Amino acid sequence: MTRRIHILPDHVANQIAAGEVVERPASAVKELVENSLDARAGLIEIDLQSGGKTQLRVADDGHGMVRDDALLAIDRHATSKIKDDKDLRKIRSLGFRGEALPAIAAVSRFELETAPAEGGEGTRIKIEGGRVVAVDEIARRPGTTVTVRSLFFNVPARAKFLRSSAAETRAASEATIQLALANLSTAFRLKSNERELLDLPRSAELAARVGSIWGDELAATLIPIDYASDGIRVAGLIQRPADTRPGSRRVYLFVNGRPFVDRFVVRAAEEGYRTTVPHGYKPALFLYLEVPLEEVDVNVHPTKAEVRFRNKIKTEATVTEAVRSGLEGLESAPSLGRHEASFQLVSRGPATGAPRPRPESGAASQIALFVPGDAPPGLPVEGEDTEVAAPMARPGAMWQLHDSYILAETRSGLIIVDQHSAHERVLFERIMQDYDEGGTASQRLLFPLTIRLSPTEAQAVEELQGILKQIGFELEGFGSNTVIIHAVPNPHPHFDAERCFREMVAELAHGSPLVDSARNQHERVAKSFACKAAIKAGQPLSGLEMAELFDRLFASELPGHDVHGRPTILRLSLDELERRFGRT
Amino acid sequence: MKVTVTRENFQRGLSAVAATIPTRTTLPVLSNILVETLEDGLRVRGTDLDISVSVQTAAAVERQGAITVPAKKVADIARELPDAPVQFESEGGRAVLVCGNSRFRLNTLPSEEYPSFPDVPFEEGWKLRGGELQTLSAHTSFAVSGEETRPVLNGVLWQVRGEEMRMVATNGHRLAKMGLQLGVGAGEEDLIVPPKALQQVERLFDAGDELEIGRSESHLGFRTARTEVYTRLIEGPYPNYEQVLPKSHDKECVADRGELTAAIKRMAIIASDQTHRVRLSFGPEKLALAVQTPDLGEAEDEIPIAYEGGPIEIGFNAQYLLEVLRYVGTDEVKVSLSAPERPATFEPVGGDQDYVCLVMPLRLME
Repeated sequence: MTRRIHILPDHVANQIAAGEVVERPASAVKELVENSLDARAGLIEIDLQSGGKTQLRVADDGHGMVRDDALLAIDRHATSKIKDDKDLRKIRSLGFRGEALPAIAAVSRFELETAPAEGGEGTRIKIEGGRVVAVDEIARRPGTTVTVRSLFFNVPARAKFLRSSAAETRAASEATIQLALANLSTAFRLKSNERELLDLPRSAELAARVGSIWGDELAATLIPIDYASDGIRVAGLIQRPADTRPGSRRVYLFVNGRPFVDRFVVRAAEEGYRTTVPHGYKPALFLYLEVPLEEVDVNVHPTKAEVRFRNKIKTEATVTEAVRSGLEGLESAPSLGRHEASFQLVSRGPATGAPRPRPESGAASQIALFVPGDAPPGLPVEGEDTEVAAPMARPGAMWQLHDSYILAETRSGLIIVDQHSAHERVLFERIMQDYDEGGTASQRLLFPLTIRLSPTEAQAVEELQGILKQIGFELEGFGSNTVIIHAVPNPHPHFDAERCFREMVAELAHGSPLVDSARNQHERVAKSFACKAAIKAGQPLSGLEMAELFDRLFASELPGHDVHGRPTILRLSLDELERRFGRT
Repeated sequence: MKVTVTRENFQRGLSAVAATIPTRTTLPVLSNILVETLEDGLRVRGTDLDISVSVQTAAAVERQGAITVPAKKVADIARELPDAPVQFESEGGRAVLVCGNSRFRLNTLPSEEYPSFPDVPFEEGWKLRGGELQTLSAHTSFAVSGEETRPVLNGVLWQVRGEEMRMVATNGHRLAKMGLQLGVGAGEEDLIVPPKALQQVERLFDAGDELEIGRSESHLGFRTARTEVYTRLIEGPYPNYEQVLPKSHDKECVADRGELTAAIKRMAIIASDQTHRVRLSFGPEKLALAVQTPDLGEAEDEIPIAYEGGPIEIGFNAQYLLEVLRYVGTDEVKVSLSAPERPATFEPVGGDQDYVCLVMPLRLME
């Protein structure tokens, strides 16, 4: 009786494995570039012909291999990167399965040239469809060059599913970009049919790399974040809320230097943007997570696009907090003229140390922004790049423009504050806090207001009566669509309770983009109230009132953004002024 | 025109009028003042169309006439002039001002362009001492509303009822009312007066001056022999304040005004910037004060009081309390209460003033 079960010959097993690892030229490019990065390459050149379908080549100037290592490398599960299963739990290098080279070699006409950095002879190995056809001694410079021709020549089923050359080129380019974003100290060059698609010099800063990939316009809309809590660090670049647009945007996630996709992490980041961008607007995100190696499992998917966090909830919460902390600063407000986005990419490795101390809200965080005209000596002065609010020691350095905007001198230039938007942010956060504390104080009226409503409005008021009371409106009587207001909130001296109530009720009853983006009824009412109760444009303010608005704005969590997703602050730097006046 | 006037009179006249000159105006002539000759003097007029002021001063008139000159510049010049007679004349559309060795020639605007003053029939009006008017206005004007949507609350209600006279002001949260018995009858009027006009009246007339007061359909005028002030009246029915004055109360406290003020001031430091809420607990012998501001902290204080009635806890805007206590002039103040959602009244203790302030409470959170 013939045995039914037998072990597959290696080259067949490799072909099957290859199907998992190498789906298309782009995945081969990814695997090969990762190998080059693990070989500490300073420059990686990628060359595609017909999107990599006819030929793709990845050349690096990394540490290369000696002959025996090179031969071992093309054996399945041969790797220099892990030794046993304990290492698997602490993966630091990009490739680790030891399946990439054999897999690619199994489905192509494969040529590997390598020479070790220490010097010595070079090696060339030729493989066709998994079978080694030649091993030669050659002379070449240190580093490794892998050339892959006729990918899938022996797997016609797979070859049939390859897309157009343009589509494959795009995919390969995308794979390269992803790796380039994670490896700033390596230069990348990508050519397709002799045309240069990417030329990315080594960069000290992520913003510079983003700029060389997509142009400085995108880079200028990004602000750096760097936040650590409980062993998890989240750094990178996020888009200024005012620069976000609806529709597609660029999102790149990395964990310990490894690209990954995770819609929950993206959602967590977007949660950090809540109330700062209009409904449906999506920010560009470049997030670099550093978590202790044992806290993340990268061995989930053969192409390693997905990872698994041991503490998913904590990781996502840290991402939200990191984004939020980035939006707290003045940096996140739009500026006139050029932005100087700057960000030092964090080195690869596990997160260490204590969380970055967050400035306390209130007085402590209000020191450095304004020119410390008569600040007492000995106060700590924060760095130029971490502008935070200051007490209004100098009301003289503040002006109201057209009764609508407040201009204030800052350490590095000036800021223009939209008084209505600013007050909106202050009121919104105040109300959200008041909900937690059982409601706001409400001023009883000597002359109660009687207000007639439409039936729809009356119904909305009846439904929301409890929340309206929490924000300070005490109402009575719903007979014939009429309400009597006995007590009202009193958020500022120019507050017009009746007008605010009417406008708010109309908005709540009939809906608006602002209130429809709210998460629940409480937030709905808070947003509407903040918008209708805030100091209006055209309201003259005294120096003291301006100072108070400033203090409260900068004591709020997200001073740079109102509740509609508009900026509250515009910055104009001295650098920009100097540039405009031709002083530089 | 050509006149000679002492520097002192010239300056006094100008500074009296200058305060009414609007700083920004769309009508250029309003930034000027009108200088006119009289039989034996000079009259200087200024207006912002709401309030108009006119002041006369003695002068030697050589040639009759009228001229408008930039108010701010001429007032500045008058202040810096040497102490010598000032000669002021119009010369081919310009104003020439000579004092000692100083000479100024200023561009002018035609005097015909200057708005005419309201025509108020003083003969149908009544009379009042400057001091009486000042007392009424000083105790009530502070309480007007600064919010522009209910214009009537931006004014002070002035009720004339025969021999009694009353002023009331409120912003809907607190109210001040003062009454005064006059020796003479003065008809019956309900006027809503902008507080800015009352300030001008307080500033320009002395306590001893006997003012003639008259009204037209839309304006109110105050005058003595040399000084006239006119103001536009605010139209509209004033809310029925008498209805909200508490008719009865069952809790009454007498406190030392200084002690109470000081304690509230201490609490106000910690009170929220937004609501200024302070919590008062009245009980036998003592008043406990407390504030809690979530971001900041808490504070408590206590002062001795004389108290009748059951214990009550009630919240107020500290700023409103401090304001009211500033105007209640006596050493002791009487506070009357009935319930935490009903108004509290503040009245002077002793003295003969008919004065009461009302403050609506803030709702307290548990």
